[in-house]
Amino acid sequence: MKHGKPFVVVVLAALLAAAPLFLNAYQVDVLNSIGLYGLLALGLNLILGEAGLFNMGHAAFYAVGAYTAAILNTRYQIPILWTLPLSGLAAGLFALAVARPVVHLRGDYLLIVTIGVGEIVRIALVNDIFGMTGGANGIFGISRPQLFGIVIRRPQEFFYLIWGCVALTIVLFLRLKQSRFGRALNYLREDEVAAEGSGINTAYYKLAAFGLGAAWAGMAGTLFAAKMTIISPESFNFWESVVLFMIVILGGAGNIVGVLLAAFLVIGLPELFREFASARMLVFGLVMVVMMVFRPQGLLPARGGRFSPITLARGRG
Amino acid sequence: MKQQLLALVAALGLAVGGVTAQAADTVKIGLMAPLTGSWASEGQGMKKIVELLAEQQNAKGGVLGKQIEVVTEDDGGDPRTASLAAQRLTTRGVVGVIGTYGSSVTEASQAIYDEVKLPQIANGSTAIRLTEKGFKHFFRTAPRDDEQGRMAARTIDKLGFKKVAILHDNTSYAKGLADEANALLKDQGAEVVFFDALTPGERDYTAILTKLKGANPDVVLFTGYYPEAGLLLRQKKDMNWQVPFLGGDATNNVDLVKIAGKEAAEGFYFLSPPQPRDLDTPDAAAFLADYQKKYNELPPSIWAMLAGDGFRVMVAGIAGAKSTDSDKIAAYLHKDLKDYPGLSGPISFDAKGDREGEVYRVYKVDAEGNFVLQKL
Amino acid sequence: MEEFFQQLTNGLAVGGIYALIALGYTMVYGVLKLINFAHGDLFTYGAYLGLTLLTSLALTDRLGFALGVLVLALMVMGLVAVLGAILERAAYRPLRESPRLSAVVSALGASIFLQNALMLLYGARFQVYPDDILPTATLNVFGLYLPLMRVLIVLASVLMMVALYLFIQKTRIGAAIRAAAIDQGAARLMGIDVNRVILLVFLMGPALGGAAGLMVGLYYGQINFTMGWVYGMKAFTAAILGGIGNIPGAMVGGLLLGVIEALGAAYISIAWKDAIAFLVLILILIVRPTGLLGERVADKI
Repeated sequence: MKHGKPFVVVVLAALLAAAPLFLNAYQVDVLNSIGLYGLLALGLNLILGEAGLFNMGHAAFYAVGAYTAAILNTRYQIPILWTLPLSGLAAGLFALAVARPVVHLRGDYLLIVTIGVGEIVRIALVNDIFGMTGGANGIFGISRPQLFGIVIRRPQEFFYLIWGCVALTIVLFLRLKQSRFGRALNYLREDEVAAEGSGINTAYYKLAAFGLGAAWAGMAGTLFAAKMTIISPESFNFWESVVLFMIVILGGAGNIVGVLLAAFLVIGLPELFREFASARMLVFGLVMVVMMVFRPQGLLPARGGRFSPITLARGRG
Repeated sequence: MKQQLLALVAALGLAVGGVTAQAADTVKIGLMAPLTGSWASEGQGMKKIVELLAEQQNAKGGVLGKQIEVVTEDDGGDPRTASLAAQRLTTRGVVGVIGTYGSSVTEASQAIYDEVKLPQIANGSTAIRLTEKGFKHFFRTAPRDDEQGRMAARTIDKLGFKKVAILHDNTSYAKGLADEANALLKDQGAEVVFFDALTPGERDYTAILTKLKGANPDVVLFTGYYPEAGLLLRQKKDMNWQVPFLGGDATNNVDLVKIAGKEAAEGFYFLSPPQPRDLDTPDAAAFLADYQKKYNELPPSIWAMLAGDGFRVMVAGIAGAKSTDSDKIAAYLHKDLKDYPGLSGPISFDAKGDREGEVYRVYKVDAEGNFVLQKL
Repeated sequence: MEEFFQQLTNGLAVGGIYALIALGYTMVYGVLKLINFAHGDLFTYGAYLGLTLLTSLALTDRLGFALGVLVLALMVMGLVAVLGAILERAAYRPLRESPRLSAVVSALGASIFLQNALMLLYGARFQVYPDDILPTATLNVFGLYLPLMRVLIVLASVLMMVALYLFIQKTRIGAAIRAAAIDQGAARLMGIDVNRVILLVFLMGPALGGAAGLMVGLYYGQINFTMGWVYGMKAFTAAILGGIGNIPGAMVGGLLLGVIEALGAAYISIAWKDAIAFLVLILILIVRPTGLLGERVADKI
């Protein structure tokens, strides 16, 4: 199994790269959606999977990025792809600002705080904060992205843009995982007290994970804004955060391949279940439970000894 | 384990890829509707109506000598799902699309249909900007918010109210209508003493009603949807507060009276395109009877009926153009379709794809919970 | 001033419902450290079952209002409790030794399933309780309007909370639940059947949630299949506010959240109401990281 891995990856990547050639527009667009959520989930994976910080408000950072891109594009005519670094920066800084006073909270308290941040952001957007977000209408008329002189509009073209970003992210995050930074995060997740005891600045690393994960969400937001050409607050509601949370945990928190695989399932299955019409979400819910029951560690659990990272610490308060 | 997962992914790919186009011995018309999610009741009503109409049309020989097949996709009532639903419809060989309900949801799909030049007839999307973008193949059987805003201001004037409280629910639609009415009311010299938004989906609005009461308005204009309107009326009655309420067209739903209770709903005014049974067209009466017979209930709302009109107009367009070519259908709908006898009244489209003519009426709920057309 | 007290009573009535639902979250959390995201949907099932039983058995016609509603409440609580136990068995027990977030995802899946099952069973339209069975009197106390039903609802929720509190504090079974919440291993060594404690918690929490659902149906009249999501979120917030795992905390948190919402809407902005509530929650957690009544737990070393 181990030695076959590079081969499998190459075949899968080649298959994926060729997908637009033999799939129709809808199927390619499903893959685009999966890619977008894959990007978002990989960002969340840094926070939730690698550092073990319960974040169920990731859509807030996604929204900050998307709105930054949309505002810069529609008001100042900055080409949408140029806003990528700016919206990443905006989302990252926003995350640092909100996470700083709360990052020390214990698991479930942090969970509700992040849910709260997500809701506050959504409500602020709906209420047209600073007079710039367009309220419930959102922002429309976002221009199509241009890359090397080609205007990207069809799903097939977006496919290469989005999955190019995913590939880049995978390479970057794999390196990050093996770096000192990545190891520090894992240490933090496994045993915060011990990590602190051995000289790791836990607050620094927690914030760094938040900032980086949020920056990724922000950049994914730019891609989303470019793809939809219209964004509105309902695209960033609590449900989006929940979906991302499910992707990361289902994938096996901390495992990049697992997270991508889970993005395929969580975003792909409801599409697959379209044949069930009104019952499609019923089947989807059932499948989620069944998958968790049969793969409690996630589809591909993060590597690491026999001791599971975040076991149910029952009875120890 | 890895093999199993690979097999799973492969199966997933195959299954998504397995949807192939069938032979074109039928004319396929797409329906995009919220079958799941918060607006599922509207979407399921749309589906029932369009399917019944298709059945009836097929019994009469279909269109262009072929049977009509309705292809339904769930837009979930949210923009992202809608964009996927739209992409999927474009690959399923439909010649035109009916739907959908919410304005922002429709908006997410517009560009996708435009890209492949599919005629789209929205049924519940009243936001003004949808037809201001110059899409050549976009139509709607629903009226626009600005028309309704004018009607609201005029109605308040005619009823003689001076101090108006405006309450919306921060959805795209309700906020737009509230803004429109707010500006017009101020122009005509009425005093707007309250302007704020409630959170839809809750049960207890007494805090808001208490605050509203403090502003002491002559009338409350609520531009949101019927579930909240019903609760507001019910809780207002519990407070022994006798202020009249005027609702926008999203309160036109048979469930409004059920939620509020007859006693609390009595005297509630609302604006709406005419109810099918208030039209003297035999078509509408006959259709409602058929609907009742088949589904043993009444259609949930006028919006679902407008999807039915969208379907009929689409069929008329195909028959009139004698073709399933999208440009020809669109051209026919823009120019040649005049005063088509719709379930909701005569239908013609202007150059933008908006429905022509005054559509709005004023209704009042009577003691029996019936919606009675008002002559103002 | 009159408006202030009116808003206070408005908030308390809403908060009473939050508190009842929050108890289910907090009890399950106390014993299992699991956030049962499907709890809000059990609340919805209470509302739907109540409607079905009410209309099909015509209890209030046969037994009169008070007795009829009481019997109805007991039936609903019993049925929702069974549902809760089934949920525990199917979706949570297999995950008991797993990473705790896996159980959270399972709970989310169960929530989606339960919600959509209800939609398919009853249809997507709003369901409405008959409005002619309730006493509609409105009391007028010092210029405050207090509908009789509202007063009854607050009384009923307080009564149930007090009963639960006494049960947990004064009985042997209650002591077992508390023991299992503090240390399951030690509780097991003391001869407590932890599995039965968990089952019991999954019977009691949903029963209270089901009762809350019935009360919402009876009083507000309008129910739909998605309402558990909103109420569930609020109740979870309330449980955290009070200190999750802490039973009096859930009660205080629920009532407080209701009051914060009402006063926020009254004096700041209706449209920002939920944002204000979350902001207050975050501020409280910054000052008291484990909620109002949560114990400060020293990190184990």
